[in-house]
Amino acid sequence: MTEALIVRGLDKTFTKPAVMDLDLTVHAGELYALLGPNGAGKTTTLRMVAGLTKPDKGAISIFGIDALADPAAAKAITAWAPDEAMVYDRLTPLEYLEFVAGLWNIEPKAAKTRAEELLSKLGLAAEARTRCEGFSRGMKQKVALAGALIHDPRLLILDEPLTGLDAGAARLVKDMLQERVDAGGTVILTTHILEVAERMADRIGIIAGGRLLAEGTLDALRSQAGEGQGGSSLEDVFLQLTAGDANGKAA
Amino acid sequence: MTLAAPGSIPWLLAHEMRLYWRNFRAGRAGKGARGLVSLVVVATMLLAGGVATALGLHEVEVPINPISISLAALASAVIFTLMLSQTLSASSEALYERGDLDLLFSSPIGPAKVLFVRSLGVAGGVITIFLLAVTPLLLPSVIWGHPGWIGVFGVLGALALASTAVGLLLAMALFALIGPRRTRTVAQVMAALVGAAFFLVSQARTILGAQKSNSLFAEIARQAQEGRLHPAPILSLPLRAMLGQPAPLLALLAGSAALFALAALALGRRFSDAAAATQGKTAARPARATRGEARRAFAAGPFLATLRKELLLIGRDAALLSQVLLRVLYLIPTALVLSRNAAHGTAAALAGGAGVVAFLAGQVAGSLAWITLSAEEAPDLLAVSPARIRTLRRAKITAALIPVALFLVLPIAALAWFAPAAGVWTALGAALAAWSSGLINIWHQRPGKRSEFKRRGGASWMATIAEMLVSALLAGATGVAVAGFWPWALIPLGLAGAALLSLRRSDAQIARNLRTR
Repeated sequence: MTEALIVRGLDKTFTKPAVMDLDLTVHAGELYALLGPNGAGKTTTLRMVAGLTKPDKGAISIFGIDALADPAAAKAITAWAPDEAMVYDRLTPLEYLEFVAGLWNIEPKAAKTRAEELLSKLGLAAEARTRCEGFSRGMKQKVALAGALIHDPRLLILDEPLTGLDAGAARLVKDMLQERVDAGGTVILTTHILEVAERMADRIGIIAGGRLLAEGTLDALRSQAGEGQGGSSLEDVFLQLTAGDANGKAA
Repeated sequence: MTLAAPGSIPWLLAHEMRLYWRNFRAGRAGKGARGLVSLVVVATMLLAGGVATALGLHEVEVPINPISISLAALASAVIFTLMLSQTLSASSEALYERGDLDLLFSSPIGPAKVLFVRSLGVAGGVITIFLLAVTPLLLPSVIWGHPGWIGVFGVLGALALASTAVGLLLAMALFALIGPRRTRTVAQVMAALVGAAFFLVSQARTILGAQKSNSLFAEIARQAQEGRLHPAPILSLPLRAMLGQPAPLLALLAGSAALFALAALALGRRFSDAAAATQGKTAARPARATRGEARRAFAAGPFLATLRKELLLIGRDAALLSQVLLRVLYLIPTALVLSRNAAHGTAAALAGGAGVVAFLAGQVAGSLAWITLSAEEAPDLLAVSPARIRTLRRAKITAALIPVALFLVLPIAALAWFAPAAGVWTALGAALAAWSSGLINIWHQRPGKRSEFKRRGGASWMATIAEMLVSALLAGATGVAVAGFWPWALIPLGLAGAALLSLRRSDAQIARNLRTR
């Protein structure tokens, strides 16, 4: 099986350790959900994978590319969408996508067609030429998601992609993510909405205190938590596995 | 202990003043002793000027004649215009910047009361600035020989109230006509233009030349002497009020207070509607693409895409545009002097003017480079892209230099027409100064918000000083070269080069510096 992401021995300390000796493997073509209480190290881990934060120690490989030795090559096939949409208020969605496509050096004609397709798919066609400053948080999130998808990344990294979205928009985003995975794309996401991870993720990683506590399919996690097969929900498993951490570190 | 009943105007005013004071304190955080020293130096200089004025004027009685009446009325008009430029901008901010308006409007406090207090805040802000400048200059004369001149403070208060009322009415009218965002843009550009117009009038001697401006004044004086200058009786009000005559002073104060109250109270409902309209979709001007825009192809590659994005953001930033416009308008007198001296072959003055152009090019480029480099709104987006950082920086610097080149092309072309060599030296000097400021902004980035542009609050203090120093050295080199002593220009040029070398930082150092912030 091709591995989309291999993380080995990842360490990062700010004022206190954020990620410690983390190992993670994400297979190509799967949707991987990274779960954990607040302050568990999820975002720091994903930022290191996206090339935004330099790890103190460890190795990151994206589709066989050493992301620390050749970050440009790794970034070329990766996309990152944080929970706070990275959009410019004074640009229109179309102008924003033009800029993002330029950053990834996409052929202009293809980029324009793809931008219009994405905006239409995300229900933003009517606002394609309206500046983002009057947009709701959900609309900005959708513009940012279009930006993340414009270069058709092999690995899509999303930090809390459903935050601020209404039910309709959330469904639209979930469908788009599922479509990508069905088409062979790889998605890693963090979410606090455990039902989403339960329903969509092929595999789930649970992180707390900067360490990976458990990893696998929902059934595998149930076994690790000592719960019966098919009996308990992901919420039960999550709370069981993070119980020790929740007392002190969950914020 | 509560000094005023909750929900009352004094209570709301106290709340606004507390917020204003805390914002002011927060804005000055870290400036500490440096800010205090500058304040003391400026106040001492003004006070010295005030004492000298009092010494010179303590036995002089101001006559009430057509000339003094006209001068006082003109001064009042100029001050009113200056105040209006401030109040118009502040009024549009009061509408556009939502802050706590949602909270206030969702409370049982009426919108008229909120507008009244906000307007008092606007008037208070503008009067404070003028009082700070005028008090040390005037107070010595009031104490020594001219107690009646205390009326000047009353006139300033009346002008502040009237200009706030007019600013409010104008902002509201613009809001109804062209919508919230354009109101903000227009208000800021108008404010810049009014400020610049005042500056240009003060530079009449420079612009018209000494001969023409003298003859203009002589013409006014001759008309007065020949009895042909008959200002309307109402125009004597400002002078009489400034001299402390109670009736005119009271009339001015009552009239402006009535205008202020009328505007604030009558516009209360409209204010809440206008402020509500800035929220949500109605605030977003449907920036419909023109047919050309819709057909336009996407920019190819990181350089062009970034360049286009930065130019769009610069072009759409009202505050930034008005500030840059203001600086460029300040160039007009210098450019006119340059052209006139070039035409008459006045080498020394020509050299000074060329230096000023180079210096301003460096300063404007520095400000724009700070905006494009340090005030990036989505740094993570650039960081996760595979685009080379140097390519992005080059695009950002180019975006900062293009407006400078556009602003300078006409004055330099005019100069080159009259004196080709001077034109070439000035173009070179301006280009070097602008480029150097761009480089300093690359090496000493300090991330900040675009809204901080006016104060350059986010810019590194060292970078600002370095920019000024290098711009000044390059301005000196330009001036010396234009004066015809170009080998001597190598000295300031070399010093500027040395300064740049000492300021230079490697990519790794820049990255480390950004990470540690």
